[in-house]
Amino acid sequence: MPARNGKQWANVPGKLGSGEYVDSRIYSDHAIFEEEISKIFRKVWMPVCHESELPDPFCFRTTTLAREPIMVVRGGDNVVRAFLNVCPHRGNMIENRPSGSFEEGAPSGAPKHMTCMFHAWQFDMKGNCVHISRATEGYQDRLACSDVGLRRLRCEVKYGGFVWVTLDDGIDQSVEEWAHGAFDCMQKSLDAEPLEVFHYHKAIIPCNYKLWHDTNSEFYHDYLHYHNRITGFNDSYFARKNIGFGNGHINVGSFEVQYDQYEGFESREELSFPYLPTNHWEMIDFFPGVNFNLRGSALRCDIMTPLGPDKVMIEFRGLGLKSDTPEERLTRQRHHNSIWGPFGRNLHEDLLAVSTQQATMSEWAEKRRILHGRHETDADGDPTIHDEEGMRHFYKEWGRRMDRWPGNPEMSYQKGQEKAA
Amino acid sequence: MSDQLVIEDIKNTIYRASLYLDECRWADWLALCHEDFYYAIRAFSPEINYDMTYLDGHRADLVSMTEMLPKHNSDHSPLARHTVVYTVDVNDTQGTASCVSSFAVYQTQLDGINSHVLAGESNIFLVGKYRDIFRIGTGQPLFLQRVVQLDTRRLDKGTHWPI
Repeated sequence: MPARNGKQWANVPGKLGSGEYVDSRIYSDHAIFEEEISKIFRKVWMPVCHESELPDPFCFRTTTLAREPIMVVRGGDNVVRAFLNVCPHRGNMIENRPSGSFEEGAPSGAPKHMTCMFHAWQFDMKGNCVHISRATEGYQDRLACSDVGLRRLRCEVKYGGFVWVTLDDGIDQSVEEWAHGAFDCMQKSLDAEPLEVFHYHKAIIPCNYKLWHDTNSEFYHDYLHYHNRITGFNDSYFARKNIGFGNGHINVGSFEVQYDQYEGFESREELSFPYLPTNHWEMIDFFPGVNFNLRGSALRCDIMTPLGPDKVMIEFRGLGLKSDTPEERLTRQRHHNSIWGPFGRNLHEDLLAVSTQQATMSEWAEKRRILHGRHETDADGDPTIHDEEGMRHFYKEWGRRMDRWPGNPEMSYQKGQEKAA
Repeated sequence: MSDQLVIEDIKNTIYRASLYLDECRWADWLALCHEDFYYAIRAFSPEINYDMTYLDGHRADLVSMTEMLPKHNSDHSPLARHTVVYTVDVNDTQGTASCVSSFAVYQTQLDGINSHVLAGESNIFLVGKYRDIFRIGTGQPLFLQRVVQLDTRRLDKGTHWPI
């Protein structure tokens, strides 16, 4: 067909059904973005760091979740807990450093305590307030330490030592229930022995968080990557399955990567993760914005923090085995970063693609249809790697939670379903 | 050759390398490197309290990496260095010299996102220090090792190019 005029361009192309595309406004509309924060990110379990980032009692790590400042601490009892990083007095952020230890006292506080530098209120590692400066003089019997503990958050350490937190006290699922079986493909590998983070970097990218999640969920974009074309693209690659799980999570099944087909790269056989067949590659896209990518010798985890409809911070972590020798660790880092590091072959390409994708979808641009309509199945009828089932599965959960039809966000989810049927 | 002349020679080599890297003249840059050359980009993460190696390899690895660049999709926005050599310490006995330089890399947008709006805009891409070791005493000083120690850790889109 020749290039289309405006009317033709606005029509649904070909014979695609209404669940096979989304409206570009879901990637750019401010009101939709705010709803996503309240209806999704405040209601789900998200990993916020890894337990190896808190190696000893009294270590802490700070982060944010749905714009709320969070502090994760390892208590003297070795238990990892999470709190809002907010002093109950005047709302000051209690700890400003990204990580550290409370073993030594802050300038205005005691050792082994969290101290708000503003007025020197102090808290123990369980979040109990244990000191209010000049409490009796100022509050008499109207307010005591027992009235002003920190805001605790539900927290679990799960799946290879990731620290999961939710802002929703009333969430009715544990992390395991929330995962809905999506971790079955790699749990044995992750839990075989303690893991350790060896790589961390962050990127703030001018794109909607869902564009990054979409990219992680569809492998059709492997045409973008010379590395993946040369080391993949064989029968077993195209047979990889795309499997949906409850709560919007997906898996992309494994195959054997031919690393030595890329000049200068080597087999990962020597340092395979426990129970992972040599050079294999398993992936989980976890709703609403987390990716676990276990590839040969290294685990990558992306955690997304949406900053605006057209801005996302992505934290990239690389993990190996805590028992690695220094030589093994260096090799593992090399394997991870040569593909996924900030100077690696693939990550730059992916980030470039989603940035230019968002550049066509400003809030004021005309709406577009973003196609998710590929159906590519195996002999059993199961979706395979270039099927776009991963994105369609995500948007069912997104639409249900937002009560918006992804193909027309002005329409309720139920009405969209009825229309699609 | 006096130490002062050796130091001048080394400084010139560092600055020449900066120009070659600015201009993506990878082969010319690598011609300034010894056959045992080792290159690494490192950063310390206060988030995970860990010395990280983002990229490393020997001369042969860099040759194949740069030769394969045309096969990759990349942001071609030029990167230009402002390099200042701080110290050069010559070790005549070992035939080496250790140097520390400070650098800032500026990126001038070309095709990274939306060229109509952004092309021509310059931003600081990253800052850090070059920690170099040279082989000296056999004519042209040659890079034996370069460790690019980054201060910048928010690397956004990153790059395929050596720094």
